[in-house]
Amino acid sequence: MPIGDMLLRSVDDSQINTVFPNTFEEYKKWDKEKDELPPEEVYKALFQELAYGDKIQVGRALTRMNYSKSGWKSLIKKTSRAIKKVVKKEEFPDSYKEFLIETNEKWADPTYWYAMGQMINNQTSIYYWNAIDRTFDQELNVVQQDEDRRVYVQTWLKTLKVSIYVTVFCLILGFPVAHLLANLPLRYSNLLMIFVLLPFWTSLLVRTTAWIVMLQQKGVINGVLVWLGILNDDGRIAMVYNETGTLIAMTQILLPFMILPLYSVMRVIPKSHMRAAQNLGAKPAMAFWRVYLPQTIPGMSAGGLLVFVLAIGYFITPELVGGKDGKLIGSWIAYHLKTTLNWGLTAALGAILLGFMLIFYWLYNKIVGIDNIKLG
Amino acid sequence: MSKLLKVFLFASFVFAPFAASAVTVASWGGAYTESQQKAYADTYSDPSSIVFENYNGGLGEVRAQVESGSVTWDLVDVLPGDAITGCDEGLFEDISSEIASMGVPGPDGESIAEDMENNGLEYHSGWDCCVPQIFWTYVVFYDPDAFPGEKPDSMADFFDVEKFPGKRGIHTWATGIVEKAMVADGVEPNAVPTVLEKQTGALDRAFEKLDTIKDHVVFWSSGSKPLELVKSGEVVMAIAYNGRVGAANLAEGENFEYIWEGQVLDQEYLCLTTGAPNRDAALDFMMHASSPTSQALQAKYITYGPMRASGIPIIVEGEPWGPGGVDIMPHMPNTPERLKVSIVSDPQWWSDNGAEINERYAAWMGN
Repeated sequence: MPIGDMLLRSVDDSQINTVFPNTFEEYKKWDKEKDELPPEEVYKALFQELAYGDKIQVGRALTRMNYSKSGWKSLIKKTSRAIKKVVKKEEFPDSYKEFLIETNEKWADPTYWYAMGQMINNQTSIYYWNAIDRTFDQELNVVQQDEDRRVYVQTWLKTLKVSIYVTVFCLILGFPVAHLLANLPLRYSNLLMIFVLLPFWTSLLVRTTAWIVMLQQKGVINGVLVWLGILNDDGRIAMVYNETGTLIAMTQILLPFMILPLYSVMRVIPKSHMRAAQNLGAKPAMAFWRVYLPQTIPGMSAGGLLVFVLAIGYFITPELVGGKDGKLIGSWIAYHLKTTLNWGLTAALGAILLGFMLIFYWLYNKIVGIDNIKLG
Repeated sequence: MSKLLKVFLFASFVFAPFAASAVTVASWGGAYTESQQKAYADTYSDPSSIVFENYNGGLGEVRAQVESGSVTWDLVDVLPGDAITGCDEGLFEDISSEIASMGVPGPDGESIAEDMENNGLEYHSGWDCCVPQIFWTYVVFYDPDAFPGEKPDSMADFFDVEKFPGKRGIHTWATGIVEKAMVADGVEPNAVPTVLEKQTGALDRAFEKLDTIKDHVVFWSSGSKPLELVKSGEVVMAIAYNGRVGAANLAEGENFEYIWEGQVLDQEYLCLTTGAPNRDAALDFMMHASSPTSQALQAKYITYGPMRASGIPIIVEGEPWGPGGVDIMPHMPNTPERLKVSIVSDPQWWSDNGAEINERYAAWMGN
């Protein structure tokens, strides 16, 4: 249900169409080739719909209109105030077009009218285009967003890159640990297991802050390196407030999600398999590669998928340790959900994220097979 | 299911409705909410009827509550842009007549609106649904020990990495920074909002100025960070919320210096959610919280200035107003001489252009 609601919201534009039905109807008759500005009827319909429309419904429509072009909000609000005065005095103008342009010169600016074209249907694809730095021109053709506003494509790529790196690092670091845990006698492995679980139970923010203390330029690691004479005092490495920091912190935080499934799979692989392989003449490396590793694939897949899914939607840790590189797609979803209230774009970003997940799932199913996933 | 769990679940269903009869106020948490608790709730006729809940700003939760018809927050503490949008969208109830009739007047009988106008503010639609709280500002501060010789004292200095080498801490969104960049580029602080609104290319100018420090910046995204950055020496100067700097100076014995020039004043409002479960009690508390006395009292606990002009004389006459016999006015952002070199952020302009500018700012950060 919530997913269906999200998908609906990402294409829904019906609210504004209930506020300005006549204006949009007249708008569709405007021949942009012939006339620079819309005809009188459009201005008149807009005047009336602002004069007699429900204040709150107009208010909600304003929030929507401002996504198509910045400035709609105050333009309509100022105009509404002027219109209310006219209606009160019942001194209706002869030409609504002239009246509105007189009230505010922006009504003579065709770019506002072009932007209106994005909203005149009950369904829209604009949010999806916005989510990949595209927008509509006056003829509703898809064009690139202004150059200095293009942020989403690079954020998508960065999010994917970070998620893939984190997954790979977790695998590289988690595999030996899980192997050790699975093969030690129980009393040692239980002790070590606590070292894996303890950070897992610690608050996310505490762990993130701890990494900042470790990594910052006047922090523990740099301090030790300078003290040892490995680094110059001015040569301190920037390990946090950039992508390196994001990768390090996220890898550490997500590591248990890799270790635990790997561990539970490795624990049940009989030790006799490796011995049998070596008995039959395989060198240890070959036995590991041909006999042991294939049996851990279900664990690697489960861990990999878990870490990747969690990483792709992460945003608190990257925001705290990532500095200028810290805005992943999750940050933008939260931003539009809470600050701009652009829930259409929020939903479109969410739907694309969901799409990514489904593609990865499909690829995974093709390559490894979904039956091959195992948490223990 | 164990017996105990069943009892617990049952109890939570039975008792939950009774627990909800207090007025719930969603606010930002930390030292700020603590100051609200002390100045507004503890002085209220029935302190136990006010419960504060933390949130992270924005109208997302409020809209979700109102749309789904299950409102749990009676009052929400919001930024002016959200006050405007919330009021326009009907997420907050239009209580303009109640504010006019029930609001506590100033000493000369000023209404709340007149009192705010006396403080240099202009009417916006947020005033119909919300009562004023405090002025807070984006201010630059530094540790004087970091500059043994000449000390920076202007926005131009903040943007001059040759004269004052070292990194700067700035936040990851555009509000406040754009205005500061304009001041560094030579615009009179008071004129910045007008220039941004009227002059084509003003924004480009701000971004060009930002380019000059881009390689010397550490970005922060949570309010406690800039203080940590300056304390640890990670940066030499940073933009911060002035209340945080004030708290560090007054309560933690730090000795930070402010650069008041180019500070960006922003407003804070308390708004009534549409469909609030305890509407009348909440309304009564709003009037108490927005009285000049309550506003002045809040300055005792956090260095944010009252939005009602008549709150200031109460502080001035009551000095030393701060904790432990300290004068608080030196830490207040809205004294007359500081207002001369300040920018009063224009919420209407930001609510028109904020989304677009923040995207541009993010693109600028990422490239």
